[in-house]
Amino acid sequence: MSQFEFLRSIPFGQYLPVGSFLHRLDPRARMVAFTVIVLALTFSRSLVGLLIGCAVVLVGLRVGKIPYRFAFRGLLPPLPFLFLLAILQVFLNVSSPDESILAVIGPVRITPSDLAAGAKLLIRFTGLILAIGLATYTISTAEMTQGLNIMFQPLAKMGFPAQDLVMMVQVTLRFLPMLAQTAERIAKSQASRGADWDSRPGNIIARVRQVIPVVVPLFLSSLHRAENMALAMDARAYGSSTQRTSLVELRLKAVDGLLLGISFLTGAAILVF
Amino acid sequence: MTALIKLDKVTFSYTGDPKDPHPALKDITLQFHEGEFAVILGANGSGKTTLARHLNGLLLPTLGRVLVTNLDTRDRSYHGIIRQRVGMVFQHPEDQIVATTVEEDVAFGPENLGLPPSEIRQRVDAAIEAVGLEAHRHRPPHMLSSGQMQRLALAGVLAMRPRVVVFDEATTMLDPAGRRMALALMAELRASGMAVLFVTHNMEEAALADRAVVLSEGSVVFDGAPRELFTRQSLEDWGLEPPPVVELGGRLRRLFPHLPEDLLTVEELLGSLPSPQRPCEPPEHRVDGGTDQQGREWVIEVQGLNHTYMLGTPLAHQALQNASLQVAAGRAHALVGVTGSGKSTLLQHLNGILRPQEGKVRVGPFQLDDPTVSTRQVVRLAGLVMQNPESQFFEQFVGDEIAYGPRQLGCDEPLASRVRWAMEQVGLDFLAFKDRFTDTLSGGEKRKVALASILAIKPRFLLLDEPTAGLDPRSRKEILLTLRRMVSEGMEIVLSSHQMEDVAMLAHDLTAFRKGRNALQGLAAEVFWQFEAVRELGLEPPVAALVAARLRTLGWGVPSRVVTAEMLMDHLERCVEVQGEPV
Repeated sequence: MSQFEFLRSIPFGQYLPVGSFLHRLDPRARMVAFTVIVLALTFSRSLVGLLIGCAVVLVGLRVGKIPYRFAFRGLLPPLPFLFLLAILQVFLNVSSPDESILAVIGPVRITPSDLAAGAKLLIRFTGLILAIGLATYTISTAEMTQGLNIMFQPLAKMGFPAQDLVMMVQVTLRFLPMLAQTAERIAKSQASRGADWDSRPGNIIARVRQVIPVVVPLFLSSLHRAENMALAMDARAYGSSTQRTSLVELRLKAVDGLLLGISFLTGAAILVF
Repeated sequence: MTALIKLDKVTFSYTGDPKDPHPALKDITLQFHEGEFAVILGANGSGKTTLARHLNGLLLPTLGRVLVTNLDTRDRSYHGIIRQRVGMVFQHPEDQIVATTVEEDVAFGPENLGLPPSEIRQRVDAAIEAVGLEAHRHRPPHMLSSGQMQRLALAGVLAMRPRVVVFDEATTMLDPAGRRMALALMAELRASGMAVLFVTHNMEEAALADRAVVLSEGSVVFDGAPRELFTRQSLEDWGLEPPPVVELGGRLRRLFPHLPEDLLTVEELLGSLPSPQRPCEPPEHRVDGGTDQQGREWVIEVQGLNHTYMLGTPLAHQALQNASLQVAAGRAHALVGVTGSGKSTLLQHLNGILRPQEGKVRVGPFQLDDPTVSTRQVVRLAGLVMQNPESQFFEQFVGDEIAYGPRQLGCDEPLASRVRWAMEQVGLDFLAFKDRFTDTLSGGEKRKVALASILAIKPRFLLLDEPTAGLDPRSRKEILLTLRRMVSEGMEIVLSSHQMEDVAMLAHDLTAFRKGRNALQGLAAEVFWQFEAVRELGLEPPVAALVAARLRTLGWGVPSRVVTAEMLMDHLERCVEVQGEPV
């Protein structure tokens, strides 16, 4: 029974400091590499390309020492929706009239390319979720803010508030696990006063009805926390110097170049095949 | 000594109106010096946090001015340097941590100061070492204990190399071991020449400072040595209570008139206790209920319970390991241990919101490893008041909050009369409080509402997770008296606590945990007298027990297993009659 361990089922925003080879690479290189793979997976139109993409992400998880079981857990919540979308895709896909027909359901004729479209959708999202998961497990917020800071520098020179934006990203990521923990506490305290959390309602409306009483107090307590955190940030001199510096110094090395090269090659492979 | 911070006729109103008849701070003139250790005391709402926030320019005075090393806080261009010089640690450890690993969070302040990376690295390493978090430097902060988080917050401040550190109720959320650690760190800061200003309502901690400043209704009413403060009669008017040692010393003085008046620490009190004129062999004590454990009916039984959080993830950690517990009918049972020893996890099992991963849990007639037993059945039988329950309020009005339980679980009488009954149980007036907003209540009132909201279910067992944690001395006393009345009326209570004075007052039996395993168990009075074993758990035995033990070695006929001040005074009065005046 772990219906209250929300943190467990929210793998996003959780940096896993397992210190793998992947963790030690330059964060900018990693961010660019993940972006390339994610974009390629998004726009690829071929089944083979998508499979290559998934394979690469799986290799990445292994290299990053992220247990497969943990990574796959992030797939479970959206899975029903993905299946629904895949089935819709099968029905709505427009295939050329000269294809062979596998089955006829009502007015709809199912062709091999319809099935392929459904499969592609499933594989595409699986790959995307795993890739984004891998990025959050291996890029810490400081690395990301550092990377973003440097990449945004040209924008900052043009008067764009890049630093504040990057800080917003960082605080948001810090808040995610905190939100999960608070939600857990509120749900537990409601359950211990008789709210029904035993049954896992099948339909969405019942599910929403179960969750709404948690959301409102969660929102209020988050506002409260945000206020406290703003004070603590002020007290630590945030915003009092025009030029923030950073603990981490970044220098691109040969291996980082290698990672970039691999990512561009696989990106190309995903798109071309 | 040179003045580090000068407050010059500071008045502050949250409305910003200089003519506000009830400002939060009224005409305050104070100086704090290099290297001093001062406490700022006051009841809830006395303005002590408001004062603290003036010291680094988080708040700016409505009238008057604040100078930090001669820099006026009203000039915003000084804020960077003022905040570097005046570091501040806040009450809620987790709300002040910005980054997602320990090391990165410590770097946040120096990064804001615009220091070069090599300098930041050096400072981060030094600060992490100073607070002893080396082993955790790459961990995410939400996986730290609250004591560790508070140390992390301090490290973040130390990395800025401040001249003074202001602790704003920074120990309120910590257990005794965490507090001791924090106080030891403060002592180290002082030794290295830093000034420490400590806002607190814990009077034992106040006793350690060189100087105490007391606020009442926004004005400074006392500024002097803590030793002198505790002899003041007006302490109570200011909403403060003397620390347990001083209070017990005061009571003992009625029998031992030569006891010095300005005792501050347990050691001082133990060292000045007199011997009797006619010493005797200390008697053995017969405890009510005896030590025979046969013939007892167990209403709650836990055997071989294991629990692991985040099971199946790289962040898994085991909270309970082969834990066992037996609660006898009609008795109050305490679970003790430091933070992280598994007390909360065990209590949540007794409430049915956690189910055993391995092992057996029986609560009344329910076997909790049986999936057909619904959580609602269990929560109706065993009501749980969670830790810091007020942070989980989800209704706007007090009445609705209390009515939630009976509304969900059903109620055999009109809802309003059930709510009224529950509020009476905790001493809240039904008409005055039912329509109040929950977030406008004081800390003590919120805790009472939380207690009432569980009592309204009319559970047979009452489970309490740290019922007095984070309360100021007066609210704590009120809650304890309420609970003691319920225990004496025969309510079956299981409570967790790291405050041994509370346990001594409430519980008959006790089970102690260390890192999720059973450590000690037995009658509370017997366990407490194993002083070394209790200290080894990171806890402090009750002062009354320590005094009683010392009196026995001096030849007073005080029985062993005395754990409360009342019991001690009772026995001692009889002893003085028999054994004569103290010498």
